[in-house]
Amino acid sequence: MAGSSLRSFIKDVRGAKTVAEERAIVTKASAKIRTKLRDDHLPLEKRRNNIQKLLYLYILGEKTHFGQVECINLIASDDFADKRLGYLAAMLLLDESQDLLTLLTNLLNNDLNHPNRFVVSLALTTLGFLSSSELARDLYPDVESILNTSKDPFLVKKALQCVAKLVMTDSSLLEIFQPQLLLSLLNNQSICTHGVLLSIAKVLQAALSGFSMHHKRVKENEPTADTTGILRQLLGAVPELLDLLQNLNVKNFEPEYDIQGTCDPFLQCELLYTLRLFFQVCFEFKITEIDQYSNKFNDLLTQIATNTDSGKNCGQAILYEATRTIFSLNLNQPSRVLGINILAQFLSGKDNNTKYVALSTLLKVVPQEPVAVQRHRKFISRCLRDPDVSIRSRALELAFAILNDVTMVELTEQLVEFLKNASDDDKNLIVYTVEYLVRAFEIHTSVDEKWKLETLITVLKLVGNVISAETVSNLLVFINNASCPQERCELVAEMLKLTLDDSKRSEISEHNVGWNLVTIWCVGEYGGEILGNKADAKISERSLTKYLVDQHAASDRNDNKIVHYLLTAALKLSAHVNDPGCNESLRQILVSRSRDADLMLQSKSVQYEIIFRQPLKVKKPILDSMPKFEKKIDAATQKPSKIASQSSASQPESSDLLDLLGEKQPSHSPQPQPSVAQSSTSVLSPTDLLADIFGSNGTNGKPSSDKDLSERNSSTLEVPAGSTKIHESAAAECYITLKSCGDGAAQMELYLKAKTNLQNVQTFCAVPKTQKLTLGQIQPGNTLVSHQVARQNLKVVGSGRLKLRVKLNFAADGNDSSEQFDHKFDQAL
Amino acid sequence: MTQIKYLILASRQGKIRLVKWYTLYSLKEKQKVLKEVTPLVLSRKAKMCNIVEYCDHRVVYRRYASLYFICGITPDVDNELLTLEVIHRYVETMDSYFGNVCELDIIFNFSKAYDILNEILMCDGSIAESSKKEVLQYVMTMDTIESHDNLDRVLS
Repeated sequence: MAGSSLRSFIKDVRGAKTVAEERAIVTKASAKIRTKLRDDHLPLEKRRNNIQKLLYLYILGEKTHFGQVECINLIASDDFADKRLGYLAAMLLLDESQDLLTLLTNLLNNDLNHPNRFVVSLALTTLGFLSSSELARDLYPDVESILNTSKDPFLVKKALQCVAKLVMTDSSLLEIFQPQLLLSLLNNQSICTHGVLLSIAKVLQAALSGFSMHHKRVKENEPTADTTGILRQLLGAVPELLDLLQNLNVKNFEPEYDIQGTCDPFLQCELLYTLRLFFQVCFEFKITEIDQYSNKFNDLLTQIATNTDSGKNCGQAILYEATRTIFSLNLNQPSRVLGINILAQFLSGKDNNTKYVALSTLLKVVPQEPVAVQRHRKFISRCLRDPDVSIRSRALELAFAILNDVTMVELTEQLVEFLKNASDDDKNLIVYTVEYLVRAFEIHTSVDEKWKLETLITVLKLVGNVISAETVSNLLVFINNASCPQERCELVAEMLKLTLDDSKRSEISEHNVGWNLVTIWCVGEYGGEILGNKADAKISERSLTKYLVDQHAASDRNDNKIVHYLLTAALKLSAHVNDPGCNESLRQILVSRSRDADLMLQSKSVQYEIIFRQPLKVKKPILDSMPKFEKKIDAATQKPSKIASQSSASQPESSDLLDLLGEKQPSHSPQPQPSVAQSSTSVLSPTDLLADIFGSNGTNGKPSSDKDLSERNSSTLEVPAGSTKIHESAAAECYITLKSCGDGAAQMELYLKAKTNLQNVQTFCAVPKTQKLTLGQIQPGNTLVSHQVARQNLKVVGSGRLKLRVKLNFAADGNDSSEQFDHKFDQAL
Repeated sequence: MTQIKYLILASRQGKIRLVKWYTLYSLKEKQKVLKEVTPLVLSRKAKMCNIVEYCDHRVVYRRYASLYFICGITPDVDNELLTLEVIHRYVETMDSYFGNVCELDIIFNFSKAYDILNEILMCDGSIAESSKKEVLQYVMTMDTIESHDNLDRVLS
């Protein structure tokens, strides 16, 4: 079969009925080609045949490394067909990183001086693809001499492309680069086809971006060297480029370059980009000569914006490029508004692609021109209803980016509208919307709070079944922190009416977990207040109790979250209920879990029952309503982030710490949180009992309650003898001491010895899945001077071998850094 | 401006018909891209926009009959709309060369498809020639030289 032609080989592969059959054919052919190529006496024609088959294998994704040398043999042939195939194969099978390239140097050198222009062009193209820095240095003079001597636009074009790549590969070539050569080419009308112009633009781009890199490197070695000379010379091209672009833009019809009535959009865009680079680089190096052209460039951009046909994709491509130029150079305000208007025009159109690029560009330029972007919210909201999910997600991001005190009411209405129409496929988007809506409500305080609460309840009604537990917590925090208790009460009463009234029941789905969680929590928290108000006949001690009992009966065995909420609500409500029958029902809910398999639930149930039995006098203050919950708003998370795309395989770095050990529960940094800093062992602490409703559901983050902490605090800490060093870096050393181990629990102390001054020290620890970790506070604090020692207590319960993964975050000399390491103990639990 | 990272031609069944890399990728990375991008693009519905986000870059694609043309590009540098024009230009040129090009033409004459591509895009993935006529003229001239060579060989 290997002797047969390429065509029949392809037919064989395609004819295979099963994957296994195809594999067999491919493997067999691959082996045959390998043997054939090893045979030195194989005639060239056969070699060509084999390389062609090899290229087909390359497309199929097979291994092809054994053919690499053979490409070079083909290039060495005098036959044009051999050379052509050899170069094609070299471009595909080899890449810049291979040692084999040195073998090519001579061949390329010969072919660059070949009498046949097509051989020269093949060599130039290949050199562009395979330019290692050695090849770049060795062959640059040959390429340059083609530029100097050739009058053939085809060769000049190819040589320029090659020069652009070589300069990119090795920016020190800029020292021997002749800007004059480029300028004279640019002025030579006879040689300047569009292809040549595109290549000149490419060389300029390569030189300009290579220049910044090169400049920095030279500066480091010889601080006085002035390398801006080349740049000043290159500036001579700017007027010519401006003229070219202007002419292209007004040109009526040139059949060869016309696309749907637009003259060569490719060249127009490349020229725009080159000019933009000119301005950027000159600005960076404070070369003021460029300023004389800025007015003209501004005018030209305006001209492009008005002249270009915005109805077709190629015209839109130019407009889009012009807009990006305006914003990346941050031109004057009228230009920026012009740019925004172009993008708004894109949004109002029918084409999905222009809508997409407009939305993602607008998102980027909101900080530069917020008011102008906001003016187009009508179009942005319309995109929220677009059938294309990519457009919807970009529009959502943008909607949150322009959301402020003024636009809030209007945009929120649109967002709620979006939630109403969202389908199940939009789960990601819904979660995102609710999360950021709650966050926006927290940040923008000047908007009417009652309206905000009402909106949140509407949102909950719509999508409560989709949102995450964390968002439910945030929502509860928001309700809890409401400044007017009276309004809140009325609202909760409304919610309860909806829930308790059988005739309205159908409005809310039984599976609306979010709604249920919030209602249950509100019954517990505000039940007393609402009962006191006697707002509605439907809301009575009996009906509230019945609601909790029903929910408890209906609760899913596997979903403990809701049971946690129920227990707390039952306990809290019991303080406000006088009817003995109701009280007993509530007690039944509490005791029902006293033998639960879930340790957390069990202990909660038992502890709550103890509180329940206390006289009302004791019970009331414990079960008093929650204080305002102070939430640290992370500056980094205030800005809406991107919606995670479903396909994205990469996860953020920070999560792999826990991933690796299979432990998904967050272990908090040990900073004390104002309202939950209570001992975890004390039963009679009201805030702590409820803390887990707000926070995570694990115990990992609870600050430790060592009584003697304060005493130890005063003396300077030392690393005790017998500690094991588990980590050392330039910033810190880390030791660990195992205080006790056995009976399923271990106590250890982590010591951190600073080598320089460290600020914001945070430790994140993780243990295997079978264990649970409680982290203490860092003593004495999270700022350490050089050689100071800090200590942190760790408590592990569970089973299995003791293993610990630690991630340190800190700021040293103002730079944030983090270190991560593992430690395995010999002991097991 | 355009600076394509890679171009993949894939059939509706996900078979790769042509592939060309313009930035340095390791073998592993190449395999990952091929394995992930093609299904991502194939899963898009017909009315959706032709731009998808993937890992650290964007993917612009367009479907012609049974064949998908897929380009990886750098956001903020590349012009997505212009990339679509580049793809279209490539298709048009092949259409003129083969005369009503179809998937089979590309499968059996992949080296010609590469030759045409190498005239349209330069080594860093940006457009090299905006005239279709020029591209065709040079590719065809090279074809003629090749067949002359063959003729000479047969005669000698």
